Amino acid sequence: MKILLVEDDELLGDGIRAGLVLAAFAVDWMRDGHTALRALTDHAYDACILDLGLPGQDGLVVLRKLRGRGKATPVLVLTARDTREDKIAGLDSGADDYLTKPFNLDELMARLRALIRRAKGVVSPVIEHGGIRLDPVSRQVTLDGAPVTLSGREYALLLDFLSHPGHIRSRAQLEESLYAWGEEAGSNTVEVYIHHLRKKLGADVVRTLRGRGYQLGGGSP
Amino acid sequence: MNAPGKAGRLRSLRWRLVAAVGAGVLLTWLLTGWSSYTMARHEAKELMDGSLAQTGHLLLAMMQGEGDALADLATRLELVRGAVDNIYEPPLEFQLGRGDGSILARSADAPELPILGRAGYSDIIRHAESWRVLNIISVDDRYRVQVSQPISLRDRAALEVASQTVLPLLVIVPVLILLIYLSVRGGLRPLDRLASQVAARTPDNLGPLSENGVPTEARPLVNSINRLFSRVRDALENERRFTADAAHEMRTPVAALKVQTQVARLSTETAMRDKALRQIESGVDRAGHLLEQLLRLARLDPVVSLETTQSVALGRLLREVLEEVLLVHPGARREISVAPAADAAAVLGDPELLRIAVRNLLDNALRYTRDGDTLRIAVEQAGETISVAVHDSGPGVPESQLGKLCERFWRGREDGGRPAAQRAVGGKEGSGLGLAIVARVAELHGARLQLENAPAGGFIARIDGLAAAL
Repeated sequence: MKILLVEDDELLGDGIRAGLVLAAFAVDWMRDGHTALRALTDHAYDACILDLGLPGQDGLVVLRKLRGRGKATPVLVLTARDTREDKIAGLDSGADDYLTKPFNLDELMARLRALIRRAKGVVSPVIEHGGIRLDPVSRQVTLDGAPVTLSGREYALLLDFLSHPGHIRSRAQLEESLYAWGEEAGSNTVEVYIHHLRKKLGADVVRTLRGRGYQLGGGSP
Repeated sequence: MNAPGKAGRLRSLRWRLVAAVGAGVLLTWLLTGWSSYTMARHEAKELMDGSLAQTGHLLLAMMQGEGDALADLATRLELVRGAVDNIYEPPLEFQLGRGDGSILARSADAPELPILGRAGYSDIIRHAESWRVLNIISVDDRYRVQVSQPISLRDRAALEVASQTVLPLLVIVPVLILLIYLSVRGGLRPLDRLASQVAARTPDNLGPLSENGVPTEARPLVNSINRLFSRVRDALENERRFTADAAHEMRTPVAALKVQTQVARLSTETAMRDKALRQIESGVDRAGHLLEQLLRLARLDPVVSLETTQSVALGRLLREVLEEVLLVHPGARREISVAPAADAAAVLGDPELLRIAVRNLLDNALRYTRDGDTLRIAVEQAGETISVAVHDSGPGVPESQLGKLCERFWRGREDGGRPAAQRAVGGKEGSGLGLAIVARVAELHGARLQLENAPAGGFIARIDGLAAAL
């Protein structure tokens, strides 16, 4: 799951990024409206955390332009402005959720997960596929009822496959989902993580389609 | 509402107007009565003198025609004596006599006077009564006529005329006073309305008072009140905005602290936790700095003028502040120079406030320049004013933002996609209040804060117009 964080405050941005990384999200962090809008237009993010008081271009302007370009990326607005008018303006500009500073990191994560879930049309937070059961809240994964321990990246990769059942995911798409900008993915790291997943969850958990990419395999969803 | 007490009535415009106009009316009424009495008396005197003379001449003429049969005439004259109480037909009192003084005939009530007096009018007192007497002598001096009338009669006539003028007013005056009271009350009603309008005002409702129906005399008052309202409204609005801004500004640092704390708690790796803790520390510093600047402004805002000023040696102050500022920016590599002129200069002012102002200027200069940049502190004296300026060789500030620098909570930031010319180096943003504080301190010292880009590059912040200490 890849998140775009738009926050100009160094300390707050750094904290949120660290929190997101701890929750196994891949995070790109932008500090102003212009670059944020460019990144949101050019890349696929699962969600965006957008601060409103931004230098250069106000968060609401970014949001309106984004929606104007037909982008439906779920956006969680973060702001110090908490009057009802501000909230209405934020939601009317296309925000999917609204969080007032100061906030709880856990709440931010929960809202983010709910946002992503809704965007993908999933009702229950727990994803089940074959014998695999993934709970995004506790980040617990079980196979036929037995807990399976996954590293952060392995978990993120599994979540990506489970969130796109039936899709063929190219290596580039998977890398973009797993890594933030500036994080260099090794030449075969995706293969390494897929190998790990197969070892822990069974060989047919991921199907390899030569020359095209990978697909969630096994079981009926 | 309570009935107004005595003191309240004395101060009430309504009561004072009614009392003054009422007293005036009463006085006029009394004066009118008195003057019509005097004038009527005068008229009565002339009228009655005239009738005395006419009667006298008539009697004389009749006497001369009657020869010596005067007793008969006197008897007949009894019939036309008139009535004592009728002032319009008063009793005829007369004595008729010869040139030698002997009396031939007289009316019963005529005063017993010798008839030998000089011709003409005279006033006499007889038996406690005053009389108007007229002596007439025939041309040949053979006959004399003396007619008289009690003076009280004319007084009564005068009184009657005067009271006919004055008595109707006895009814009119109370009606008049009532009318005055009613019109004063009506005339002052706009003031009552104005008072209730003002009384209804609260800090939330300081819109201008309506001038509709306000009398011309009260308009200056309404205008003054409206000007006051407008000033109070502005002050309240400023305060409200400042409080809101301040609360708003505190939210981001608090949010950062909270998030970093949670990261520290959640992280399993030591390195990550340590970093979060360091971030928390720096966040606490930043929040503390913001709080301190806020308190400073809050204290400076209500100050109207400096209470005490003293001579402050600039050289020492600049060097001391510089040392302090460098402690806060450890590792800043700037070439810093203090103008030699500073050592000779002393300004009149509050040393603590000047120190804060200079510290904020130097802090800004360090924040927005990089290693290798130069900082020059210049002191210039022109006559009795001194200016202190901090020149830096940093990137300066876009002209469009110069005006915003002193706005509260404005920070040097990126502008419209251009690379940040004046973004704080190393992410060390200020409170956004520093220059606002400097401007306020300058203002309190009768000086101005001037901000400009140097023609040759760099940025100049100057406090201009400090008073030199002699």
